[in-house]
Amino acid sequence: MAAWSAACLFIVLFTTNPAYKAMVLAAAIASLAAGAGLHRMRGLLLGVVLIAAFATLLNFISAHLGATVLFELPESIPAIGGPYTLEALAAGLSGGLTVAAAIVAAAPFSLMLASHDVMDALPAVLSRTGAAIAASLNLVPSVSASFVQVSEAQRLRGWRPRGPRSWAEVIVPVVLTSVEGSIQLAESMEARGFGSGPRTALKSSPLRKSDWLLVAASAAAVIAIVIARATGMSADWYPYPSLAAPSVDAVSLAACLFLLAPVVAWRSRA
Amino acid sequence: MAIARIARLSYWYPGAEQPALRDVSLLIDAGLTVVTGPSGGGKSTLLRVLNGLVPHFHGGRIAGAAEVEGHDVIRTPTRILARTVGFVFQDPELQTVYDAVDREVAFGLENIALPPREMNARVEEALHAAGIAHLAGRSVRTLSGGERQRVALASALAMRPRLVVLDEPTSQLDPEGASMVLDAVRNIVEQGRSAVIAEHRLERLLPHASASVIVEHGSTSTAWPVTPSLSAGITSRSRSGPLAWSLAGVSAGFGGRIVLDSIDAFGYEGEVVALSGPNGGGKTTLLRLIAGALSPMSGKVERRPGRIAYLPQNPTALLHRPTLRSEVSLTLERAGEPEPPEAILAELGLLEVAGRYPRDLSCGERQRAALAAVLPGRPDLVLLDEPTRGMDAAARTALVGLVSRLRDQGSAIVLATHDSELRSALADRVLHVSAGSVVESESHSVSA
Repeated sequence: MAAWSAACLFIVLFTTNPAYKAMVLAAAIASLAAGAGLHRMRGLLLGVVLIAAFATLLNFISAHLGATVLFELPESIPAIGGPYTLEALAAGLSGGLTVAAAIVAAAPFSLMLASHDVMDALPAVLSRTGAAIAASLNLVPSVSASFVQVSEAQRLRGWRPRGPRSWAEVIVPVVLTSVEGSIQLAESMEARGFGSGPRTALKSSPLRKSDWLLVAASAAAVIAIVIARATGMSADWYPYPSLAAPSVDAVSLAACLFLLAPVVAWRSRA
Repeated sequence: MAIARIARLSYWYPGAEQPALRDVSLLIDAGLTVVTGPSGGGKSTLLRVLNGLVPHFHGGRIAGAAEVEGHDVIRTPTRILARTVGFVFQDPELQTVYDAVDREVAFGLENIALPPREMNARVEEALHAAGIAHLAGRSVRTLSGGERQRVALASALAMRPRLVVLDEPTSQLDPEGASMVLDAVRNIVEQGRSAVIAEHRLERLLPHASASVIVEHGSTSTAWPVTPSLSAGITSRSRSGPLAWSLAGVSAGFGGRIVLDSIDAFGYEGEVVALSGPNGGGKTTLLRLIAGALSPMSGKVERRPGRIAYLPQNPTALLHRPTLRSEVSLTLERAGEPEPPEAILAELGLLEVAGRYPRDLSCGERQRAALAAVLPGRPDLVLLDEPTRGMDAAARTALVGLVSRLRDQGSAIVLATHDSELRSALADRVLHVSAGSVVESESHSVSA
């Protein structure tokens, strides 16, 4: 899973071509749907759409470059005045695709794995760090519950949100409670021998055939995209000064198709 | 033969002028030892000496000697003592590392690098000893508080310790969860292990205890404790006044799930209504509806205008001011009440600690501090969600006195509680909240 996520991230950051970025995003969504199920992805997808839309809009508003002017606002308006171009919109979309693909590619770690799965996959030398991370992840739900409870109770005690400083009455108790929780957890871990020395693990997770298939497909995807770029088959895409459609070559297309391997591997696991 | 030996031990927390333990000498023998005493007296500190968390984790100064199974506690780190002394803490949620039961139980074994082939047998043995073999493979998050605390006990037992120490393990649990844990403790003692337990619910443990220690003001004595009655000192009930709140045909829930379905309920000024029922039955949802913190999906919620005092579960999370006095003053200022903060602090026995940072207080003192922070002055509507959770006997008695006074002054009071003693002591009516419905308990009709 880590190899596949890394390959997705590598390709989406390595290529400037929005067509490949869109393909990586599509492959990541299809893979995640196969592994975690669409119903568990709804919140994630909504968040990704919002973040990608924000990234697109930000570039459209702030980059007044390009030849194809869609409309103009007076230059006298600070920050947002100037020409609004098709090229800036296309560059923004490309950036939005990058962010969206990166988030979806990393999502299997939170949607498909329990904290002990991550622990089991770590090499022995990182086992103590992994245990500490796993423990801290277990505190996350209690922090959000604490925030809801404290803000509600403080409101009934007469607190009202009036500016950033007023939030201290909610944030400070929540942070203090979280810190106390962390200390209690550390105390509990110490009482159970944490830090005694090298650790062993109840279960190890040897790589299965499907895992090796995924590693091979991910490696093939990275190698293919690098070769396509190095040999000039895959040209850079740059929207300015005037917009041109991104070109697609067979090798880079194959690289993106390799990223669909989890659709097979994770469906059989699910 | 003694399992643990403490000789002339005194201990100061970092920066403290007064010792938390003073000149303590104690022998702990095999069997069950019950540790009692008022909140802030030093129980938790004493228990932490037994596995070296005091002084190794908490720091501070220590004098005297302590030995457990031949290990010099002052010179042996806790992570080494972990093989000899198992420890179970108060809050089941704050001692979980993994999210799978068998992995959680194996955590200590992994830390001492037990070969994996031996771990499965140890985990199975510990789960059996704690009476939760059926929970193997379950996700910890899906367990009740009582089940989670038994997982914590199994985690301690997996190390095959000579001594198991439990620090108020039932304080955060409902009665069902508490029974579950105390039954497990009794079982492990019957199986021949030694245990030391600090606990407020003594009636279930004392018949099985071989020794008891009372810790007060940092000093210990070995007298047999007396379990106080909650109803002592309760004022007589006044007649209730006009309608204070009502719900008519109200449905409510979260994320499309209906928790309360078309319910009717009401309460009067000067009346205590207790809500009973299982966890997840809808008691907290009903309180939040009455408070106006949650909007109903349908139906009508009405309440007389006035100040609402709401004590949530885990109320100590609210405390954030530099002193307890300023914490109470904040509520009084906001409510526009002229009462001095010292009035409620005196009523709850907290005047001595009024100038202290509330989060530095002991667990039981913090509970009373949270009550003082929420309930000063004369609130018109008082809503209490599991107010006795984690409270020692003194705090529960103080709560009963305070609620009785507020009721007699005309406040409408609704309390959600598993605590049957509290219901008997205070409730004018009991509403049973379960599976989305609310039914008035016939056996507890209006006494006014």
